[in-house]
Amino acid sequence: MSTRTRTRQRAFGALAVVIALIWMFPVYWMLNSSFLPYNRIRAAEPSFLPLNGTLSAYGRVFDSNFFDTLRISAMVTGITVVAALLFAFLAALALSRFRFKGRRSFILAVLIIQMIPAEGLFISQFKLLEGWQLLNSVIGLSLLYIAAVVPFTIWMLRGFVNGVPRDLEEAALVDGCSRLQAFFRITFPLLAPGLVASGVYAFLQAWNEFTLSLVIMTRPENMTLPLWLRSFTEANRVSDWAGIMAGSVLVAVPVMIFFLLVQHRMTSGLVSGAVKG
Amino acid sequence: MNRALRLTAGLAAAALALSACGGDGDDSTEPAAGGESAGTPEPADLRLWLNGPDTPQSMRDWLVAEFEEQNPGSTLTIEEQEWEGLVDRLTTSLGSESETPDVVEVGNTQAPTFTTVGAFTDITDLLPDLGGDDLLQGFVDAGSADGSTYAVPLYAGSSYVFYRKDLFAASGLEVPTTMQEFVDAAVKLKQDNASVPNFSGFWLPGQDWRDGAAFLWDAGGDFAVEDGGEWSGALSSPESQEGLQLVQRLFTEASGAPKDGNEADGHVPFCAGEVGMALRPGWLRGSLEDPEIGCPDLMANVGVFALPGTDGEPAPVLLGGSNVAVSAKSPNQELSAKLLELILSDEFQSQYAENGLTPAKVSLADGLGTDEFAAATIEAVTNAKLTPAAAAWATVEGSRVLEDLFVAIANGGDVQQLAEDADAAIADQLG
Amino acid sequence: MLLLPALAILVAALGYPLYRQAVMSFQEYGLAQQFGQPAEWVGLDNYVTLVTDSYLWTVILRSIVFCFANAAITMVIGVALAVLMTVIGRGPRLILQIGLLLAWAMPHLASLTVWQWLFDSQYGVINWLLVNLGFDRFAGHSWLIDQLSFFVVATVIVVWMSVPFVAFAVYAGLTQVPGELYEAAEIDGASAWARFRAVTVPLVKPVLLIVMLLQIIWDLKVFTQIFVLQDAGGITAQTNLIGTYIYRLGLGEGEFGLAAAASWFVLLLTVVLSLYYVRVLVREEEL
Repeated sequence: MSTRTRTRQRAFGALAVVIALIWMFPVYWMLNSSFLPYNRIRAAEPSFLPLNGTLSAYGRVFDSNFFDTLRISAMVTGITVVAALLFAFLAALALSRFRFKGRRSFILAVLIIQMIPAEGLFISQFKLLEGWQLLNSVIGLSLLYIAAVVPFTIWMLRGFVNGVPRDLEEAALVDGCSRLQAFFRITFPLLAPGLVASGVYAFLQAWNEFTLSLVIMTRPENMTLPLWLRSFTEANRVSDWAGIMAGSVLVAVPVMIFFLLVQHRMTSGLVSGAVKG
Repeated sequence: MNRALRLTAGLAAAALALSACGGDGDDSTEPAAGGESAGTPEPADLRLWLNGPDTPQSMRDWLVAEFEEQNPGSTLTIEEQEWEGLVDRLTTSLGSESETPDVVEVGNTQAPTFTTVGAFTDITDLLPDLGGDDLLQGFVDAGSADGSTYAVPLYAGSSYVFYRKDLFAASGLEVPTTMQEFVDAAVKLKQDNASVPNFSGFWLPGQDWRDGAAFLWDAGGDFAVEDGGEWSGALSSPESQEGLQLVQRLFTEASGAPKDGNEADGHVPFCAGEVGMALRPGWLRGSLEDPEIGCPDLMANVGVFALPGTDGEPAPVLLGGSNVAVSAKSPNQELSAKLLELILSDEFQSQYAENGLTPAKVSLADGLGTDEFAAATIEAVTNAKLTPAAAAWATVEGSRVLEDLFVAIANGGDVQQLAEDADAAIADQLG
Repeated sequence: MLLLPALAILVAALGYPLYRQAVMSFQEYGLAQQFGQPAEWVGLDNYVTLVTDSYLWTVILRSIVFCFANAAITMVIGVALAVLMTVIGRGPRLILQIGLLLAWAMPHLASLTVWQWLFDSQYGVINWLLVNLGFDRFAGHSWLIDQLSFFVVATVIVVWMSVPFVAFAVYAGLTQVPGELYEAAEIDGASAWARFRAVTVPLVKPVLLIVMLLQIIWDLKVFTQIFVLQDAGGITAQTNLIGTYIYRLGLGEGEFGLAAAASWFVLLLTVVLSLYYVRVLVREEEL
């Protein structure tokens, strides 16, 4: 690499860090507020640093049933992510590798489903789950979430499957692999960035969803995290803002862990894989 | 490729394992729905939904213990709900036989939404046992439709004026005894404290029509009136106009609150020393006294009085509160009725009074005590009013016509013109 | 068949609700029906109510402008950041990704609250900053009471929330572009912009199209951000978009039939608005 490109890369790197900091500012403000006593969260002179702050907000939210709620949310989100990726992956494979009757209508239908305004649909979805006795059940809620994220995931992954040069697979076929083998050995690793991007999307949709969870999970022992968080808005007649911010920090931590676990998959995509393949 | 395949299979298995957990959890709670009764009620597990923090933990504990003692074998579970999203949750859950709570609390303005549609059990026959004429009549009306009663009052609360004694003294003011004195005091406080940024002689954020209503009503006006079964907006009537003009004067000459702000978090400017007077619900006291969120040190300088009307009597302020009802779909009707009786018993209701809320029964109001706060509470309630009893009133609130009207008034708009527009919108929604 | 699981779950979870939604839109269906009373068939009444409401058309026009402005800004920033990720080193890239993800992962309750605080007229950081920079007229300035200013604030929040998704999706697409293609183009002497247009865009086109389409769909349906801002300030009648208007039209009070009709109406509108993209997408399909 020439020095010129290296300096340029440095300059862009610095720009990226600046943008990241700007984008993070509201997040920082959440963290900051979670350490502040109430009269400093909203004051004529803003406190930019939590100096002389307090951890009491964390104490308040931790003794609530955070871990039970976390468990429910983790189950719902886990099922949603795994099932949505798996189903969408299979569908994307079928759509981009095989020609069959009804293929176009399926693609169009999936697209249109994205456009349906969701407000009000929860009434009918509640009736549906009631009929199947799946109210207040992790499976019932997951089912609705999977259906909500699968259309996008199909589209996203289809783009990626299309993007994998077919020559690569065919080369593998020549080498004596079966079609399935060729697929899993060559195509699958190349899809990793798409799977990660879709996975993060599905994860966040399920993790932060509020309305469906509100009407489906009505029993306290089945609360998901967004419902749990919402309970601090009326905890003491006025909203416990420090508690809400502390709770939000706790809710965001598992998302970060999930992302850090999968993020390296995002960069080691085709570029390296294709050359080796 | 085998590894990849096994991975996929493993993930699927994990999903199945997780799903099994979900299923189990559900099964174990299932028997709660059982218990068809004949004669004496079969023991059952009752679920009661209470909203927000108005019913303190000690009262909940008492209710559970008492209920389970009176009905051996039965249990009571109190599940706390949030006000936000409550209507969505009630709309779905009350219609489901397996998931409905047995007894629910609803806001008094939400009650008419559910009474006319068959969501609640008709409890007209129970009314005498629940308190009869002793109950807060406006709330009974809110819970009645077509001559039958479906929901009864749970508790009520109304706003009174919190003021700063030290600022009053500095400006040489006495506690006002008429509306005129009150307005003069508010304006003078703002003038005398002009050096404090955002200072309010009387704190009234732009969207706060609920507290602004007192001035409208005091002048003899109203939001909407009924004439031969037809509701129409009444904001442009001469009396309403007088009230709204006064509101505009307060906005411009007495208030330093945001012109389009809402009334949540009223304790923040109060604790910051930016407020001389504010018309707030009694629970503001709790917020101010709370060391975590309020300013207990300031309390020595805080006094309260009921907002005085033009005639020197307490001005009509908006009465808020809750109703309580039995779900029509509940399989435990008899036990639910017993629970309702217990909730409206003198023992339980007087505990609301001890906690500073107006109990559902007029005769128990003395339980509020005798201090300054109790006196203001009792006085304020004597003349308090409810929003118009039109069945579709919730639509008016939902569309935020009144918030828009008050913000526009705060922003210096033409009161007559704005009121006529709002009347047209209200007539449209109530018609 | 490979399609079966996806198809099954879509039919299972959405089929019946959508069917019911369609039926309801031709019925007088309110809370009473929800609690068991028979629904009355009213034909096209719900649709007529909607179409003859002149305010609805104002709201639709407003929504379309808002939607395209937001989708365009989001796409430009999102794609720019995605491209930026491909040219920077590992460290800065991870920092940028984490920054974006944090914004994306922040619970909506917290993010919307923080944004309200930042723009608060009396205790807001933004006004505090402006006043300290010498702009005294921003003391107590309300950012929401003026219609245009309200939508600027809404745009900032919506864009801030949607850019991470676009950046991640497009970046994932970009990693698929084989490096050799760039090198070949570079040797040919193509400028960076020309390389971007000639090499990158065609290869990530499927992802770009779908992401763009989704932005249009989502920004047309935007609800929570507007709803929360209306509660914080501003004048509701001047700031309603389709989502909040449908809600205020009666969903909150249980007018489900009308709301269902509105949903189908909005769906039709979305299809019309995105027809161009849908056609491009389907044509891609033929390749």
